[in-house]
Amino acid sequence: MTRHPASYRDPSGFVYHSAGRLYRQVNKVYAGDYNRLMQSGLYHMLCEQNLLLRHKEINENIRNDSDWHITLLPEQIPFTSYPSEWCFEQLKDAALLTLRVAKIAIAKGMMLKDATAFNIQFIHGRPVFIDTLSFEKYNPSMPWVAYRQFCETFLFPLMIAHYDKMGIVPLMQGFAEGIPVHTAAKLLPYKSRFNAAAWLHVYLQNKFSNKHPAAASPVSFSEKKMMNLLNHLESTVERLSNFSKSPWRDYYAESVPGTDYLQAKEKIVTAYLQKINGKHLLDLGANDGHFSILATKSGFDVIAIDNDEQCINSFYKKTKAENITGVLPLCINIISPTPATGFANKERSSFEERIKPDALMALALLHHLCIGKNIPLEMLAGYFARLAPQLIIEFVAKEDEKTQLLLQNKKDIFPSYSIARFEEIFSEKFVIENKEMAGDTRRSIYFMKRR
Amino acid sequence: MLQHLLYIDPGSGSYLVQAIIAGILGVIFYFKNIRLRIKSFFNRNRKENSNNRQ
Repeated sequence: MTRHPASYRDPSGFVYHSAGRLYRQVNKVYAGDYNRLMQSGLYHMLCEQNLLLRHKEINENIRNDSDWHITLLPEQIPFTSYPSEWCFEQLKDAALLTLRVAKIAIAKGMMLKDATAFNIQFIHGRPVFIDTLSFEKYNPSMPWVAYRQFCETFLFPLMIAHYDKMGIVPLMQGFAEGIPVHTAAKLLPYKSRFNAAAWLHVYLQNKFSNKHPAAASPVSFSEKKMMNLLNHLESTVERLSNFSKSPWRDYYAESVPGTDYLQAKEKIVTAYLQKINGKHLLDLGANDGHFSILATKSGFDVIAIDNDEQCINSFYKKTKAENITGVLPLCINIISPTPATGFANKERSSFEERIKPDALMALALLHHLCIGKNIPLEMLAGYFARLAPQLIIEFVAKEDEKTQLLLQNKKDIFPSYSIARFEEIFSEKFVIENKEMAGDTRRSIYFMKRR
Repeated sequence: MLQHLLYIDPGSGSYLVQAIIAGILGVIFYFKNIRLRIKSFFNRNRKENSNNRQ
């Protein structure tokens, strides 16, 4: 029975593990607000619209805690992702969800007392608010206590990525607790000063952020003002986008090997997928998700990762548009996956600790890692074997034009990059079960099982 | 509000800035509303005219 290492900020309750399940304890101090959440109809309204994580009440003081009010067994989340792993559109949807939940809460006489991106998880591909204890009684005469937190963890990263057309991942990694307003004001370009939303929420807020609370005279606020504020934040976030052309976006649409190659590859991969034991697949270098989506059609639950944010962005948009629920696309660089961070390095666990796939899929990836990033085949074989017991992997020969492109400005220091050496090295860790050529190109696809 | 439940720092000046932003937004929305009303008034007239012509 261990308390979750990230669950220490809010005195209202906490989350803990017991017998392989995650429970939430509601403390006495939060009893009033919890009862209001359940009795006002807010909980049911949010659950009906799939905006809030469902839970069951358990009237048992599992931990024998004197602060105990009630125990909740929430719907269990299969995989926890972090905001620093989301693409722009995912963070944007999480921000819009937070605002929507806040607006619905106000209609039921409650309000969000915090607004961090960690309150949200992606379940079946859609964002869901998971922190049941974030609600408190709404006091119309008070401004929003979580306004600054909302700005720092959602609005500022989105705005900076929008204006600077940069990736959102480095911002979220570098500022896990949010971007302070004075930093946001510095990172935004000059032209943003002419935008009303940036002026109000960034530059004006920056002017006031140094004002000492001693000077805080009671401010007058109302529900109408609060709705104006929330609606304005909503329309501001809705307008943000960071679309830019990525060299990887149209990899499969434009790539030279063409449709014969793609069709052959689809056929081989589909056949290999049937051989896999288990339903959890990790797709490495997923690109636009073509093969991840193929795997969902065979009933797999897929975590699809790629280093390229624009790819994950369009992949995520596609899952939304086509209502594909079996895959979660994430911006994770496989050569530098998310580390363990937070208090005592325990609060947020590393990617490897969270992921427990039954199989890996690495299509058209190996040459990028070996030739593009100089990673020896031995190291990759060892790492892949550690990650999962089954592997679908594509070997792209040195003669392939995509590999030649990688070698264009590089000295060929890769004498061991050959199909024979690849098979030899991977055979030390895996048993090669199947091998097939994809069309008449210089690409072979393997199905392997860990020794 | 119970003080001990206020576990995140709203940020110094955050309440004041919200009051100012909400005030400005109130003015903007007020004029937007007037503009929309005028627009819809003329649109209605136009619609009625075109209906009359038919």
